[in-house]
Amino acid sequence: MAILSNDHAVELCQDLVSQSPAEETEVTLECTEDRFVRFAHLGPSQSADRERNEVAFRVRVKVDGELREARATCGTIEPDDMRATLERALMLAQYAEPLVDPQRFGGEVEIAPSALERPTQDHTFREKAEWIRTAQEAAHRGGLSSAGLIQTTAMTRTLANSSGRVAHGSQARASFALTAYEDGDSGVTASNEIVHSNVDKLDIQSAIRQTVERAQAARNPEAVDPGEYTVVLMPRAVSALLLGMSYQGLGAQEYHESRSPLCGRVGERIFPDGLCLVDDVHHERSPGIPFDGEGSPTMRTELIRHGAFTGPVTDAHWARRLGLNNTGHGAAQPSPSGPSPRKLVLSPGHQSVEQLIAGVPNGLLVHQFHYTNLMEPREMVFTGMTRGGTFRIEGGRITRPVHNLRFTESLVRALTRVRGIGNQLEIAGSLFGGEVLCPALRVDGFRFTSTTAF
Amino acid sequence: MERLTQRAVEEALRAGADYADARIVRLSQERLGVRNGALRLADAPEEFGIGVRAMKDGCWGFAAAPGLPAALVEILPGVARRAFKAARDLGSARRRPIQLSEERGHVGEYHTPVEEDPFRIPLSEKIELLRAAEAATHCRSEVVAGESMLSLRREEQWQSSSEGARLHQVLVRVGAHVTATAAANGHVELRSHPAYGGQYLSGGYEHVRRMDLLGAAPRMGEEAVALCHAPTCPAGERTMILGGSQLALQIHESVGHPSEMDRVQGHEIDFAGASFLRPEAKGDLQYGSEHVNLEANCTLEHGLDTRGWDDEGVPSQRWPIVDRGRFVGFFTDREFASAAGETHSRGSSRAEGWYNPPIVRIPNLSLLPGEWDLEALLADTEDGALLVDGIRTWSIDQRRVNFQFTCQAAWEVQGGKPGRLLRAPTYQGRTLDFWRGCDAVCRPDSFEVFGVPNCGKGNPYQIAEMSHGAAPARFRGVTFVGA
Repeated sequence: MAILSNDHAVELCQDLVSQSPAEETEVTLECTEDRFVRFAHLGPSQSADRERNEVAFRVRVKVDGELREARATCGTIEPDDMRATLERALMLAQYAEPLVDPQRFGGEVEIAPSALERPTQDHTFREKAEWIRTAQEAAHRGGLSSAGLIQTTAMTRTLANSSGRVAHGSQARASFALTAYEDGDSGVTASNEIVHSNVDKLDIQSAIRQTVERAQAARNPEAVDPGEYTVVLMPRAVSALLLGMSYQGLGAQEYHESRSPLCGRVGERIFPDGLCLVDDVHHERSPGIPFDGEGSPTMRTELIRHGAFTGPVTDAHWARRLGLNNTGHGAAQPSPSGPSPRKLVLSPGHQSVEQLIAGVPNGLLVHQFHYTNLMEPREMVFTGMTRGGTFRIEGGRITRPVHNLRFTESLVRALTRVRGIGNQLEIAGSLFGGEVLCPALRVDGFRFTSTTAF
Repeated sequence: MERLTQRAVEEALRAGADYADARIVRLSQERLGVRNGALRLADAPEEFGIGVRAMKDGCWGFAAAPGLPAALVEILPGVARRAFKAARDLGSARRRPIQLSEERGHVGEYHTPVEEDPFRIPLSEKIELLRAAEAATHCRSEVVAGESMLSLRREEQWQSSSEGARLHQVLVRVGAHVTATAAANGHVELRSHPAYGGQYLSGGYEHVRRMDLLGAAPRMGEEAVALCHAPTCPAGERTMILGGSQLALQIHESVGHPSEMDRVQGHEIDFAGASFLRPEAKGDLQYGSEHVNLEANCTLEHGLDTRGWDDEGVPSQRWPIVDRGRFVGFFTDREFASAAGETHSRGSSRAEGWYNPPIVRIPNLSLLPGEWDLEALLADTEDGALLVDGIRTWSIDQRRVNFQFTCQAAWEVQGGKPGRLLRAPTYQGRTLDFWRGCDAVCRPDSFEVFGVPNCGKGNPYQIAEMSHGAAPARFRGVTFVGA
C-alpha cells in the first residue's frame, strides 16, 4: 500500500537528502490511500480504491558563487524515478536567478505526533453500499431521488531537509455527502455533508433524515424579489464566505501588495465584538497536517480578535520581510503563491439556529452558496447563488421555500453586519475546495441582485 | 506497455469481471513562472501509474496505483482485483445495472502534431522569455505585480479493454501568459495576454512564439493602470459585443456544462450541479437565435480535447450541439448514450490521469463563425453599446441558468469605434435569454480557439482540458450590474 510507516517515510526522505549533491536539499513525501463511492438515483455510479505517492525535491545549487533554487516532483517512490527527479530539480535550479538574501532552510522543529484513524482506513465498500441503500430508501419514502459521495481518505506527509529538519504528520478524513432532490424541472434540492476524521463518528442517520426533511420542505418554492435581506446563513453558506476570504485577503503577500481590503487596518475594530476568527489546523474536530510546505510548524493564528483584524498569516519569507512571526502557512517552495489560511475556525456564539431565526422579522434562511467567486479584490466583493433549500423567514418563523437568488456582496461589509452567531460549530466546505469550522450567522442587509425561476 | 494494460484487463476478467479496461498514463509537465523579477515557479512533475476499471453485474469498480513499468508488472494483478472487488461489493446497492452502448475494440495510434517539441527548447531560452516579458509589465510604478508563466504538458497513454481495444496516444500542449496587476486610485485591476490564466493550445512551442508575450507585456501594464483610473462600468441594459476569450468562457459555462448528459441525469447534482436541460430538449428547444451554431469537435485544430479516442476508447467525433439556434446534441459516454436517444457514445469520457475513473466531459465546443467583419459590426452598433473582453471572474447557478461574469475591461462604442475605457464590466443574465439575444457573429478571420486548462468537475474533483473557439459576437439587451 502507498502509506509507509512513520519511520520508513522519515528514513526515506533523509536518505534522499543525503544523496543530493546540492548545497541545500529538502524532500517531501506525500502518501495517500483513498476509497470513494459516488451514487446517483440508480445506486453506486462510480467508485475507486486508489493510492498515490508524491515525492518533491527542492534544491539550492551554487552557480557563480550564488544560490539558485528549483523544485521537481515525481509520482512514485522507485529509486530510478526519484533519482531522475532530483536531476531535473538540479538542472532547473541552474537557470533560476540568484536568491536575494537567502536564509538557510529552517532547522529542527518540534511537531506533535499525529496518528491515522484505523476505522477510517479500514472502512469497506460493503459498508459504504449499506449507507447508500439507507439513504436511497429514505429519499424514496419521501418521494425524492438521491445522489452523493462517501469517501474515506488517509494521508501522510513527511519532510526532511539538509538543515536537520524532520516533520511528519498524518490526516484521516471520512465524509458522507447527500443531496435529496425532486425529479423533473422543479430544481428542488437539499444537500448535506458531514465530515470527521473517524468514520465511526459520522451520524449518517441524522444526516439522511435532515436532508430528506429539508428537501420535502423546499417543495413548491415561490418567487422572491432581489434586494437586501436579513439572512440566517447556515454553516455551509458561511463556509463559502470564509473560504472566499481565505483565498484573497488574509495572507501576507496580498496584504503587502495592497490587494487586501484589510491592508493597513491591523488593530482596527472593523467587525462586531463577537466575531473571532482563528486559523487552527490542530482543532480537535478536524486535525490537519501540522506543518506547512517548508516544514514550519503551523501555529494556531488569531486573525480577528473581538472584531479587530490582528494581522495576516505568514511563511518564512514573508515573516522575515515584514518583521512578523512565521505562522507556518507557506506553500511548498519555490512558488508564486503567498501564505494562506489552512483551516479557519470562526468562534461559536451563544444562540441556537432557532434563536437566530426568531430574531428575524422579514428575511431569508440560506443553507448553501454555490459557485462563489471574487468580483472585486479590494473590497472583497463576491458573487454566488443560493442552493440546497432557501426559505423565507417572517415574524421569526420559517414560512415558505423560495426560488434561489444570486448575492453580490462585499464580505467585509457582510461581516460588519453580523448580528448573531450560532452556538454549534460544523465542518463545512464549498465548491472550490477547502474546509472551515464555523457556526451559523445572522447578517443584516445582505445584498441579493437577481433570482432564478427554481 | 500495451501488454501490461492487456494483462490488467485479463486479471480483472479472471477475478470475475464482466468487462474491464485499463489505462497506463505517463504524465510529464514543466511549469515555469516569473513573478516580480524572480523565478518563483520552476517545477517539473512526472507521474506514471495505472488505472483499471471493472464492471460486475452492471456496477463499476475502479482501482489505481503508481509505478514505473517494472513495478507495474508486480502490482497490476492486485490493482485489477481491487477494481473487481469494488464493483462486486457495491453491486447489491444498484437498482438497475449500467448498460454500455455498443463499441468495437479500436486499435490505433494518435500523436498531437508538434512542430517544436516544447520539452526540447533550452530551459535558458524559456526562462529568458518569461523574465523579459514579466519585466516589461513594470512600465508604470502602479504595477504592483507582474507575472509570466509557461506550462508544458505531455501525456502518453496506453489503453486496452476486454472488447479488444488497444490504443496508444501522445497528447502535447503548451500554455503561457503575461499578466500585469496594478493598484491605484483605490482599485486593483489586471490585464493578461493572450488570455486570463493563459492561452493553452495543443501542439508545440511554435504556439508560444506566436503569442508574442514580450511585445504585449508593456500594453498589459499600461492598460491595468488605465483601468484603475477608469470609471466603473455603470448598471443598465445595453447591447454588448463580446470578445473571443470571454465568449469562450460563456460557451463553456452556459452551453458546455448543461449539455453533459451525466448532469442531465442527476449524477453531478450533489456537487457541481445539474442542468436545466431535459433529454427531450434535443431537437426541440430553441437555445439561441438563428445566428447561434455550436459544434463539438474532438478533431479541432489546436484543441485541448483533440485526440484519437476518449478514455473509453471511443473515436473522436464532430457533431452539432446547437444548429441555427435549436438544441440538437448532448455530450455522452457509453453509459449515457442511450439517455440521449443514441446507439453510440459521442466519445466525451475522460479521466484526469491514471488516478481517476473517467466521467462525461465537455469536448472542444465552438461557436461557429458568422459573416460580420468586426469593424463593420462596430459601425453597425449604436453609441453606448459595450465591447467587452478579458475574463476576471464568473459564477453560474447549479442548473446553469443564472450567470454573472465580471470582465477585465469594456470600451464604450462611440461613432462605430471603441471609445471610453470602463473598468469591471459585470453582466448577468439567464442562459436561454442571452443566447436568443445574439444577432451577429463575426466571420472566420476573427475566429480564435481558446483553451480551458482547469475545468473542474466530479467528486472527488477532477481537472480536464478542452477548447472553445469563437469570434466576437453581438448580444442585445444585456443587463449590466454595477460592480
